[in-house]
Amino acid sequence: MKLKKLTIGVAVAALIGGTFVAQPAKAASGELVIGSVLDIDRTDPHTSTNFATVRGLGLVYGSLIEIGAKNAIKGGLASSWVFNSDSTQLTLNLRKGVKFHDGSTFDAEDAKASLERILDTKTGAAARANIATITSITAKGRQLILKMSVPNAPILAALEGVNMAMLSKDDIDAGKIGGSNKPNGTGPYKWGTWEPTQSLKLTSFADYYAGEPSIGAVTIRVIPNEASILSALNAGTIGMGIVTDPLIARQVKSNLKTFKVPALAYYALQFNTKQAPLDDKNVRLAIQCAIDRDELIKTALLGEGKVTGPITSPDFRSNPTARPCPTVNLAKAREYLAAAGKSSGVTFKTLVTSTGWATSVAMAQNLKAQLAKVNITMDLDIVEQGTYVPRWLAADFTATLANNGGRVDPDTMYTRYFTSTGNLNKVATYSSSTLDANFLKGKASGKAPVRKDAYTAISKELEDNAVWVWLATPYEYRVATKKLRGFTALANGSLLQLRFAKLG
Amino acid sequence: MQRFFILNRLLSVLTTLFGISIFVFIVLRVIPGDTITSSLGIETGALSPEQIESLKRYYGIDQPLIGQYFSWISSFLRGDLGFSYSTGTPVLQLTKSALLVTLELALIGTVLGVFIGISIGMFSARKPGSLRDFAGQFFGLLALAVPGFVLSTTIVTVMANQFQYFPNGYEYMSPTEDLWMNFQQMLFPGLVLGIAVAAPVMRTTRSALLETVDKDFIRTAYGKGVKPRIVRLKHVLRNSLIPIVTMTGIQFGYLLGGAVIVEKIFSLPGMGRQILDAINKREYATVQSSIMIFAIMFVAINLITDLVYRKVDPRIK
Repeated sequence: MKLKKLTIGVAVAALIGGTFVAQPAKAASGELVIGSVLDIDRTDPHTSTNFATVRGLGLVYGSLIEIGAKNAIKGGLASSWVFNSDSTQLTLNLRKGVKFHDGSTFDAEDAKASLERILDTKTGAAARANIATITSITAKGRQLILKMSVPNAPILAALEGVNMAMLSKDDIDAGKIGGSNKPNGTGPYKWGTWEPTQSLKLTSFADYYAGEPSIGAVTIRVIPNEASILSALNAGTIGMGIVTDPLIARQVKSNLKTFKVPALAYYALQFNTKQAPLDDKNVRLAIQCAIDRDELIKTALLGEGKVTGPITSPDFRSNPTARPCPTVNLAKAREYLAAAGKSSGVTFKTLVTSTGWATSVAMAQNLKAQLAKVNITMDLDIVEQGTYVPRWLAADFTATLANNGGRVDPDTMYTRYFTSTGNLNKVATYSSSTLDANFLKGKASGKAPVRKDAYTAISKELEDNAVWVWLATPYEYRVATKKLRGFTALANGSLLQLRFAKLG
Repeated sequence: MQRFFILNRLLSVLTTLFGISIFVFIVLRVIPGDTITSSLGIETGALSPEQIESLKRYYGIDQPLIGQYFSWISSFLRGDLGFSYSTGTPVLQLTKSALLVTLELALIGTVLGVFIGISIGMFSARKPGSLRDFAGQFFGLLALAVPGFVLSTTIVTVMANQFQYFPNGYEYMSPTEDLWMNFQQMLFPGLVLGIAVAAPVMRTTRSALLETVDKDFIRTAYGKGVKPRIVRLKHVLRNSLIPIVTMTGIQFGYLLGGAVIVEKIFSLPGMGRQILDAINKREYATVQSSIMIFAIMFVAINLITDLVYRKVDPRIK
């Protein structure tokens, strides 16, 4: 009997022991495995909006313009450019020696066909509105000439990113974009295989115009839980992880490297200025004064964020102290409430997504507690993201806590929200003739000081009227093994800098 | 009589499945959002009404609801589960691999759960009120009280931080691709599910054994000089199996759905994850067809459990 028990004990011990000893070999050097909660959801770069898709396809496709370190606009497939005197025409000189992954050469005809595809309403391109002012596109040798209906200097920044990917004209003509067609880009990595919900495998492109990347293969593996991504990093089964939750980011130990950059995205308490009680400017200002952004960052964001004003674009960033009540001021908040005739307080409902980002509900709870100090009751209407988006789009809220994407140029960031003809103005619920004029001024001039003045004025109007309450910008985190060298994290979340990185 | 019973149960199964198909179809349409808004997010606001109509046609959501239902259910009955637009893959293809993962996981969880549950149940029932009974019952309570996601996260974190071991960070391997890797990737998630199954099985086993052990035929067996171990296994356990089989059948059914969190934390590409992703993306065909497959399996397991009763206890007719 004892012998039998002993045998079973040894067998169990051997099983468990064997499990630990016989670990699979670590990933071969030259292959970087990236853990991501989200899978890509399509292969057409022009219609991609999902962060994971934009990240993955960003390694496969190239665009005319790129955003480099410190958010500087730099040449991508266009090596140089020039505007005419009134910024109604942009001439882009295309880079030589650029090839698609199928071996064909990239030229101005491909660029023209790509932009025309984006402009075609049938495509449903996500960023069509950003270049909708283009009236004609001419391919001339290695030059691409864009004519615009109005002066439009910010269009340069609008040509950046996956949504502006350059595709092969032959592929476009043959209808071989998206669906089950293999992506054929000019980016540093070639499409390998995509196993939906599991992994996307890419291999380095030997003919990449900036030289073949030294990391030979990149696999983006779906690990649908950020805590598990961190565990996989600690176990050495993956080399990099995409992390958005500050709680997870703070658990990273010294055995790993964290690349952390302030994001362009921002958190804001969006108001529906057409609905009571937020149709009253004084009520909105009272809310703005009652909110302690530093406390919000310290508690709900675990210290992982920065106070922000409306504009997060680095060259035009709003001064967060240039606003009514730059720091919490409860007395002032009560004054505004009194001016609104609501000394006894107000109540409003706020739409909150439970799954949109990691800290959404914590932030909402914190704001609710802060506002209660001045008798402002913020009821929470917490819904999952799939429900949140259509309600947000329909402006079906009195207020909503939002995590909106930022851009390197304020024109592409806010024209759609705060100009009277902007496609999201219905959601922003605010426009004015002065805002329209200032956006036009910012768009028309290629001169930085003029543009800076215009966007400062825009920022001031938005803050003085407490159109929304801008709260904070989060950070973008990339956690990686210490073997990863030469990588720079970008504020737009792109992994493109992997093309210059090395392992080991 | 037997034939009538089976026919009656089959009719009940078909009615249940029909009800589920309608329920799932309606619930999905009632929740706000559709494939377009979940696919394009706030960028949907940039689309013109014509573009939205065109996309609705593309996704097949421009038809009246009755037309959509019959189109889906008739395709489903022909074996066409629909198409996943986000992955560009037929749902049948996605489901084939995902279902195998979940079935394997549920099977491992059930086997481990039954083994652990019956063992501890027998251990407890041997001396009711003793320290060993207390220990067994404490395990049962603990296993019921600790949520699966806590246990999963704890295992993953401890194993990764202390032993640098997290095989689920590697690409998922099916048993036919790499049996050893598959075993490693399934062991801990299977254990988490197994512990969840073990608790009710343990409590049921204990109660059933205590009830049976006082029966006359057990005393007779002891009186005839049958060895205690043989009495426990062949007489007491055998005659206590009905509630245990019932509980195991129910738990297996629940495991199919309950695997969602475990699959997520252990990064297993199973049905739970597939359904959750599809709900978030409002991929109607994927959700409807996947849930129908779960429902078919659930009712089939219950049917089999009913049939097994009749085998285990011939008195049930």
